[in-house]
Amino acid sequence: MFVSLTNSNHMFVSYNWLKDHVKLPDSLTPEELAERLTMSTVEVDGLFSQEKSLANIVVGLVKKVSPHPGADRLQVCLVADGTGEKQVVCGGSNVRAGMKVALAQVGARIKWHGEGETITLEPAKIRGVESQGMICASSEIGLSEMFPLREEKEILDLSTYQAAVGTPLAQALGMNDAIFDIDNKSMNHRPDLWGHYGLAREVAALTKRKLKEYRTAKITSGQGLRLRVEVKDQELCPRYMAVAVGGIKIKESPAWLRQRLLNVGLRPINNLVDITNYILMDLGQPLHAFDARLLSGSEKEKTIVARRAKSGETFTTLDEKEHKLTEDMLVIADQEKAVAVAGVMGGLNSGINVETQTVIFESANFQAANIRQTTQKLGIRTDSSARFEKSLDPHLTKAALEKAVAMTKELCPGAKVVSVVVDEKDFHLFTSPIILTDEFLRKKIGMEIPRAKVKDILTSLGFCLKEKRGELAVTVPTWRATKDITRPEDLVEEISRIYGYGNIPVSLPKFAITPPLVNEERRWERLFKEKLAWEFGFTEVSNYSFLSPRLIEKAGLTTNEYLELDNPIAKDRPFLRRELWLGLLENLENNQPYGETLKLFEVGRVFEKEFAGQREMEKSDGLLPRQNIRLGLAVSGKYAEPFYLLSEALGGLLGEAPDNWELKKVVAVKNSAVHPGRVAEITVKGKIIGVLAEVHPEIQEKFGLLNRTAFLELDLTELLTVWAGQKHYRPLPLYPAVNRDLAVVVEQTIEQQALVQEMLKTSPLLQAVELFDVYVGSKIGENKKSLAFHLTYRSEIKTLSAEEVVTVHQQVRQRLEKKFQAETRE
Amino acid sequence: MKDRLAQIKKDFYQGVEDIKDTLQLEELEQRFFSRRSGELTETLKKLKELSAEARVEMGRLANELKEEMTEVLAKKKRELATTVGGQLADREGIDVTQPRLPRHQSGHLHPNTQVQNDLEDLFTSMGFMVLDGPELESEFFNFEALNISATHPARDSQDTFFIKDHPQWVMRTQTSAMQVRALLKYGAPLRAVVPGRCFRNEATDACHDHTFYQLEGLVVDHEISVAHLVGVMKELLQGVLKREVEVRLRPGYFPFVEPGFELDMKCLVCGGQGCGACKHNGWIETLPCGLVHPKVLEFGGLDPKEWSGFAFGLGMTRLVMQKYGIEDIRHLQGSDVRFLNQF
Repeated sequence: MFVSLTNSNHMFVSYNWLKDHVKLPDSLTPEELAERLTMSTVEVDGLFSQEKSLANIVVGLVKKVSPHPGADRLQVCLVADGTGEKQVVCGGSNVRAGMKVALAQVGARIKWHGEGETITLEPAKIRGVESQGMICASSEIGLSEMFPLREEKEILDLSTYQAAVGTPLAQALGMNDAIFDIDNKSMNHRPDLWGHYGLAREVAALTKRKLKEYRTAKITSGQGLRLRVEVKDQELCPRYMAVAVGGIKIKESPAWLRQRLLNVGLRPINNLVDITNYILMDLGQPLHAFDARLLSGSEKEKTIVARRAKSGETFTTLDEKEHKLTEDMLVIADQEKAVAVAGVMGGLNSGINVETQTVIFESANFQAANIRQTTQKLGIRTDSSARFEKSLDPHLTKAALEKAVAMTKELCPGAKVVSVVVDEKDFHLFTSPIILTDEFLRKKIGMEIPRAKVKDILTSLGFCLKEKRGELAVTVPTWRATKDITRPEDLVEEISRIYGYGNIPVSLPKFAITPPLVNEERRWERLFKEKLAWEFGFTEVSNYSFLSPRLIEKAGLTTNEYLELDNPIAKDRPFLRRELWLGLLENLENNQPYGETLKLFEVGRVFEKEFAGQREMEKSDGLLPRQNIRLGLAVSGKYAEPFYLLSEALGGLLGEAPDNWELKKVVAVKNSAVHPGRVAEITVKGKIIGVLAEVHPEIQEKFGLLNRTAFLELDLTELLTVWAGQKHYRPLPLYPAVNRDLAVVVEQTIEQQALVQEMLKTSPLLQAVELFDVYVGSKIGENKKSLAFHLTYRSEIKTLSAEEVVTVHQQVRQRLEKKFQAETRE
Repeated sequence: MKDRLAQIKKDFYQGVEDIKDTLQLEELEQRFFSRRSGELTETLKKLKELSAEARVEMGRLANELKEEMTEVLAKKKRELATTVGGQLADREGIDVTQPRLPRHQSGHLHPNTQVQNDLEDLFTSMGFMVLDGPELESEFFNFEALNISATHPARDSQDTFFIKDHPQWVMRTQTSAMQVRALLKYGAPLRAVVPGRCFRNEATDACHDHTFYQLEGLVVDHEISVAHLVGVMKELLQGVLKREVEVRLRPGYFPFVEPGFELDMKCLVCGGQGCGACKHNGWIETLPCGLVHPKVLEFGGLDPKEWSGFAFGLGMTRLVMQKYGIEDIRHLQGSDVRFLNQF
């Protein structure tokens, strides 16, 4: 019953149809109207003029058909075009002399065989024979919906048309309409705009014309069928109207009706179905028509039930698909079976068919949220459900039913109403007046709109007004009262959009001169990024927040620590990252073909479910997972120790002062992805804020990385809780320094930092110690290393004498020898 | 003494003959003129041992020789500067087109970062705070507090990522999710932008990605009007594009603004005549915006009678693609160094 539009994201609106409801001046072009609608109401995505699209195509008369000398399947035709005769090569299977055809002349826009790009016709030679035009198939000029092809090579036969030879095709077919292509999402909030009448109301307001009243005659009840309706769930079905009409004869609709439907993208089916579709497009109220014979009960008595589906109930919709229904769905049923999924789609078991004699029209209102939920679950969207889910005005059902009966009588002269009009209803709309003050309006728009103008606009949109001093009491019309307009702010929009946004003068607000608060996290993030890129030569990457289990397991980790998406788009990447280095390792792997040495970094949020983050609501105990900002670095390449490359970068970021940060070797390593002998915690003021590690050789191999690889991960959010990046200035020294070098041979397990700290303890005169060389080799013995340091001696109060330096230097050596069994030499 | 001077003179000229570069010239100069041990200096020192007459005589000779030698050295120096200079260019010339080896590897900031930095600078200069918030957000802040009803299509699982076992959590679909958080934290008046990562559960192709970046703007103050909104948006676009622009409002529907708009900018390529860049429309849809919905203000703890505001959303990812002419959105999250190293 509800035939889908060709493109469900768009609604096609006919200019001529709009003109049925509002008289528009001839001077107004469809282009101008499209612009006005776009600027004030809905987005008109395209405008399609039938006359323009069929330009240079005329009614031709085939005078003579002779075989093509060079091709069996082609014929050479002489075609009269009203001014003379043209020679045209044609491959149509049904072409014959005396036939009226659609003759495309030079300049016509056609699609060869109905496929591919539209092209402009030019004179051509086809297999050596001159062709001065083309005899078209319906599909070649965009008319295949109107004239469906019965066989592949069939040309359009216009012999039944009265039009004189040479008449433009658009005129011959009565196609003088302009079609607006409206983007549905621009009117999702406007249930009243989903039919021509509602749009005509907007057009009337925009052009200051009068909207014609939608006149329908009250239905006079008839006899013959006792029709009953039981609404079991009035929340889901606030109104259900129905009436039975007998004496129906199913046949093709008249040409005007078929053309109307075709113009707005609907395929004509038969008179009854076309009536329901016409009203759908006219009023925006979906209707459904049942064949009374197919409903249970006697011929004299039928009962329609609006009830929730039974759990597990199956139902076959008229597109022959079987659906499993659930209890939260509403169905329309007779006393035995469901006959429609309410507001969505009718059933195969009860629809209009060639034998239908008595029809029961349903004109109902269904709860928007429930319709939406049902379409989601069933995966069906129809023109009907699309409208119901916008919250339709329950008052529409009456006009729609009356219109349906009137049209049925018109199209089937023998038809008559055979039941009472049933109207089960229980609904309330918000219609208490909204108070709109002049001051409120002025403040919101930023200008004064004259009261008279405001009244005109609101009245033209159907609002009722009561004027008081300085304010208006505005009553919302029912078609805007289902959800759309409830507050004075909503009225501001109505007034200003019709007044014209372009007519509002632009101004700038006055703000206090206060500098904005600085976001420290962003400031440091930016500084770190720039240092890494400009100074240390790292390239910034940006990875998705979603990880695959494959990647997690590849690094020897388990997925149960990760938060998981319920509905991942990429089914293979459902997990939320809780570290950056995993993604960086994958980046190194992927980029290895493009660079021998790779230095990458990323800044981004990670998701740790075991730590609490921000509140879910203002005053709630519910807490989101922690989502700190991390900085991740990874390096792979022909470096002896990529670890030191990263610790150097860390020093660049956090500063070189020795007490700024520390690396502490991790002894009991839990992370199996890291090298057990080459991993350190990064600590700042005693707090662990990150990790620096070389990748375990096995993991390195799993990732196919040819060179030693290291990564660093720093928690920026945590860092900023203990670190503010201050610089500490010390006045320049007054007395010269004395520099001495010292080589120290110790066990390899001894950390240079321990040596440095021990040396510094010796005397305040030793102000700085800096490692400048490390040597490991057979010359100094197994498991030994030789470290060379620059030592700087200086006093704050005098110039040091040579003897003083020698004394302290000697003490330094002794300390090292004693504490570390070091051998020292100068 | 006289012999000694003659010998010095002879040695000196011999030495001058052999000079090939400035280094040798300096050595020769040192050999004879060094204050401590120069041959001529030494000889001159011995003058005081002579008798008065001899001293006068020898002193004159020695000084003459000194002047002569100084002059020869100066002349030689000039010679070297010209002729030997030419030889130096030959001997030490380099290939100026050769890069340093091993090459220095420069780093690169992601194009997202670069555009975001520019925008943050612009907004900061206009008095806006730069905020950020959770990417995994509660349904409350992402939807409810923005007046997006439970049945709104935006809440469908085909648009929104939900979190397993936590039905009240979503991956934020818009940076607007920070509006009410910001109002609750900072109150009013408020000027803030929220650049950040957003997520939509939609199929990925060259133009769409499930992960993208937005920049949300929020201004709340007394008596903020539609006229102000247009004024600020115009200034903002002129700041971004660094040229005069023309803008217009069209109706647009977003539940958290009322009225809501689509703001178009007159096409900068054709000036509004219609061209390929604007799809022959003359205008380019640029950003959604509107006056903050009173319900949003209420959720933010503000009285809508006292406060009003506007909000706007800028598609940062789209801006990045336009700025650099990037044809496929997937490059941005692809982490391919061949792409990244171009920025």
